[in-house]
Amino acid sequence: MTQTRGGRPRASLPQHTEPARMTLREKLTRLRYNKVPDHLLGEILSKSWADNLVPFAFLLVVVAAFGLLLPGFFAPSSLLDTTRQLGEFLIVVLGLTVVIIGGGIDLSVGSIFALAAFATLAVIYIAEGPVWLALLAALGAGALFGALNGFLVGYLRLRAFLTTLVTLIIGRSLYDILITTWGARIQSSPVFNDTFDHIGMGAVWGQPISALIALAFALVAHLVMSRSRIGWHFTAVGGARRSAFNVGINVRRTIFLTYVISGAACGLAGFLFAARLSGVGPGTGLGLELAALTAAVVGGNSLGGGRGSIAKGLMGAVVVLLITNGLIRMGAGTGTSQLIVGLLLAAAIVLDVRWLKNRHKVLSEVYVAPLHHAMQPAQSALPGSGTAYALNDALASAEPIALGTVEGPEDVILDADDNLYAGTRHGQIVRWFAPDYTRSEVFAHIGGFPLGLAMGRDGEIVSCVGAMGLYGVAKDGDVRELSTETQRSLFSVVDDARLRDPNDCDIGPDGRIWFTDSTTRYDAHDWALDSIESRPTGRLLVHDPKTGRTRTVLKNLRYANGVCLSHDGQSLLIAESWACSVHRYWIAGPKEGRLETVIRDMPGYPDNINRASDGTYWMAWLGMRTPSFDMALRHPAMRKRMTRNLPQDDWLFPNINTGGVVKFDETGAIVATLGDLGGAAHPMVTSMREHKGWLYIGGILNNRIGRIRLPDADPEWTSWNSYWGDRA
Amino acid sequence: MTLLDRLLDPFRGEAITIPPYDGAWKPNTLLETAAKVATLAQADNLARDGDGAVWLSGGPVLYRLAGRDVEPVATFPSAITALAALPAGGLVVVLSDGGLLLRRGKESRDLREAFPAAVSATALFAGDDGTLLVAQGSAGLPATEWVPALMRKRRDGALWRLDLSGGKAERIADGLAFPTGLALDESGAPVVAEAFAHRLVALGGGRPRTVLDRIPGYPGKLSPARGGGWWLAVFAPRNRLIELVLREDRFRADMIATVPQDHWIAPALRSGESFLEPLQRGGVRTMGVRKPWAPARSYGLVARLDAQFRPVESLHSRADGRRHGAVCVLDLPESRLVAFKGAGEVVDILNREPQA
Repeated sequence: MTQTRGGRPRASLPQHTEPARMTLREKLTRLRYNKVPDHLLGEILSKSWADNLVPFAFLLVVVAAFGLLLPGFFAPSSLLDTTRQLGEFLIVVLGLTVVIIGGGIDLSVGSIFALAAFATLAVIYIAEGPVWLALLAALGAGALFGALNGFLVGYLRLRAFLTTLVTLIIGRSLYDILITTWGARIQSSPVFNDTFDHIGMGAVWGQPISALIALAFALVAHLVMSRSRIGWHFTAVGGARRSAFNVGINVRRTIFLTYVISGAACGLAGFLFAARLSGVGPGTGLGLELAALTAAVVGGNSLGGGRGSIAKGLMGAVVVLLITNGLIRMGAGTGTSQLIVGLLLAAAIVLDVRWLKNRHKVLSEVYVAPLHHAMQPAQSALPGSGTAYALNDALASAEPIALGTVEGPEDVILDADDNLYAGTRHGQIVRWFAPDYTRSEVFAHIGGFPLGLAMGRDGEIVSCVGAMGLYGVAKDGDVRELSTETQRSLFSVVDDARLRDPNDCDIGPDGRIWFTDSTTRYDAHDWALDSIESRPTGRLLVHDPKTGRTRTVLKNLRYANGVCLSHDGQSLLIAESWACSVHRYWIAGPKEGRLETVIRDMPGYPDNINRASDGTYWMAWLGMRTPSFDMALRHPAMRKRMTRNLPQDDWLFPNINTGGVVKFDETGAIVATLGDLGGAAHPMVTSMREHKGWLYIGGILNNRIGRIRLPDADPEWTSWNSYWGDRA
Repeated sequence: MTLLDRLLDPFRGEAITIPPYDGAWKPNTLLETAAKVATLAQADNLARDGDGAVWLSGGPVLYRLAGRDVEPVATFPSAITALAALPAGGLVVVLSDGGLLLRRGKESRDLREAFPAAVSATALFAGDDGTLLVAQGSAGLPATEWVPALMRKRRDGALWRLDLSGGKAERIADGLAFPTGLALDESGAPVVAEAFAHRLVALGGGRPRTVLDRIPGYPGKLSPARGGGWWLAVFAPRNRLIELVLREDRFRADMIATVPQDHWIAPALRSGESFLEPLQRGGVRTMGVRKPWAPARSYGLVARLDAQFRPVESLHSRADGRRHGAVCVLDLPESRLVAFKGAGEVVDILNREPQA
């Protein structure tokens, strides 16, 4: 594993030597699975922009295909003309994209486009007005028509498809009437407006003005949709209308606004079109709705709403335009290119529906990327085997606390008044009152899954909350967030600034909180899947409450779990679960910053570590090594096929139905073990805490807390005294 | 497996499926609540002779049931793998080392010589015509080693017919997937329970005919039911992980070579005793409960089949139960005994445990 301190990497621990007798085949397997980064595929697919990869790939294919088939297609002159068309088309598509993201559909975009173009020309050539007035007229006409759509669909709650179909017909009829009445006057108008013509035909920096306007529009739209409140409201209403309503979003107004935006976008596009052609005819904007819809869907926007982006609309528009133009250049008649665009739309819809239904399945199949790991042989832990690790049934007779009423007390801690605290899987920290622990109350509700606990000098309980971060609960039950992120590594695809599985914590003498984040690839509720991968992504972090900053201290641990400050306060004992090892990390003294292994290759997987009253330490075992699982770790291909071909319930697991408690001293020698082989009371143990002659037992999958008497222990010893009292 | 499937499978993975416990196989806990008759380690075979005496075997010892007591009668050099009572009187005892002993008072003799080589039989069926059908699980492995036979994917079982009045045994079928149970269909043709193929096959002249397929487990011994039909004991369940391991040749070879047999990812007659056994995700104890439908290496299942070998009813002991590994059923006038080799018990499924 590697350590970083102040950015300077220090010497790392020598790797565990692999058994010499690995066949050549196994060595090759190890090379293939440990060096080839399969895990990146799953990490990329789980990113929020992963959906854009398919349309992007398709775009590349189209560009390559037409680049090869039509030699002059990407020459600057023909590209200029294509880009000019793209400008207007893109604006319409983006407006339509906004409506689709909001859960609706706008079939009247063609009619609005035509009407806006007419309005522009009417102002320029009939009323002889300035360009800005023409722009205003176009935008106004578009927004007004869009407002009509929005009123009918948003406020009157009519069905979007039929309503916009009707407004399409009405709009087109209106447009036909207008151009039959005024068309001749526009054609024969003597007006010349240079600015107007320049907007249509000119270029700035080599790019057509319409394209630049379209790109600016796209940029603004992207920022609004992805980073502004109104954009999030659009997506929320499209994705889950009832939930958006329940959360307090004004659903009707939001939908109204999407149609207004679409109308205004068509207005702007109509203005640019009119500027380019200086004339309109009966065919203006006819069939535009089909092409725009195709572009939006081909780009990957979901017709159901809630899933989509401006980037997808942009890619779709480019694809459709390239295909249409390319087909025309190749000599296909209008019928053929319409046919192909229609087929493209059908294919895109089918793919969209299938992807939506199967994305999570693909992700769950592809995400688990197992490594090859050869575990060293371990001593036996079987009862009667005579080894130091031999388990017994000492925990079977533990006195149960909160039997059947607590769910998942991963760690337990006691305060100065002997009250017992534990986290539960409901996201709460529950307090049981001394001396009999029958009465209880919810001490604090944090959310997530409170796991490791530690108590500060002032009695504040510090907790690692799974899937959230490090939190502190004051003595009055007040919850405050201490840390939910650390520094992000530069080359990690998964965002490892997040704390996905904070597990155990302990407080150093200077008040700094040392805690572990078990894995960067799985959340707290999926923790056991990390064992199948066996990838070392666990870390040790330190949080300084004075500065509020959190720093990653150690990386690449195979499921970093328990943390315990040694009795002399100079080092930390750290449990590395899947490596079945306990390490010591020096935080003070001459060896500060060094890491050494104290216990290695145990027959069980260690969880939390806590102090014992006689200068030794308690360690919990969350499960036992099995020969079949150890063997499976050397066959990553088999594990990969297992995760792909079997339902999760059937996957081979480390044996977490049996665990125990192990006591060890500063040199790592095993002093005692406690187990429950029948598994009736404490099948797996995740933590234990000694307090005044009793040992309190916790388990993340258990429905009770247990306690057993320690007859030889100091009856006055408490953990808090050991850390903060006079004898500390 | 169409061509399209073959092309797509490398990309989408090939799901492994097992037949569900449905219809007549619907799970219940009737085996758990049945009345216990006797505790007998390795309780294996049951037979009832012409005089009404009930014989049991457990390991290498032959017992007789008297009331609720089991009295040991004889001990043999190796484990008893099958028992059959002859209609003409007498008992045939098969040992795992190939011994085939006829116990009929003064006419007792060893029938081993009738076979060309030692046959470790898994099941017997005494016909009314003085012949004995003998099922041999695997030509290379003894009957008690069904787990290694399964993991090595042996398909070399055979069916023999022996004329008890002398003469050689005749092999009437070969290449069977570990036959463990024998019956006769309505036309008198032998029906064989092929454990590793999870089906019952009729071997009457011509081609073998499947009479019952998609059994959700490994079928074991068949015995006649009073009133027609048959009782089938299913000694281990099907498990998707085990099916996967059977397809993973390298992993399986490594496992057979380095892991002790008790801890293989393989079916078993009993499970959950040692923490070194494999565990599947669904078998994890959560909140104090081990769910009954958890994937399991062992299971308790007996089923009654009608005369056409269609399942009519079944009795189960589920993943959270303890009566696993049912190997033999004996239908008696007043009771119905089931021997559990996994749990080491003989129970009576016609009577329930008294509610304490």
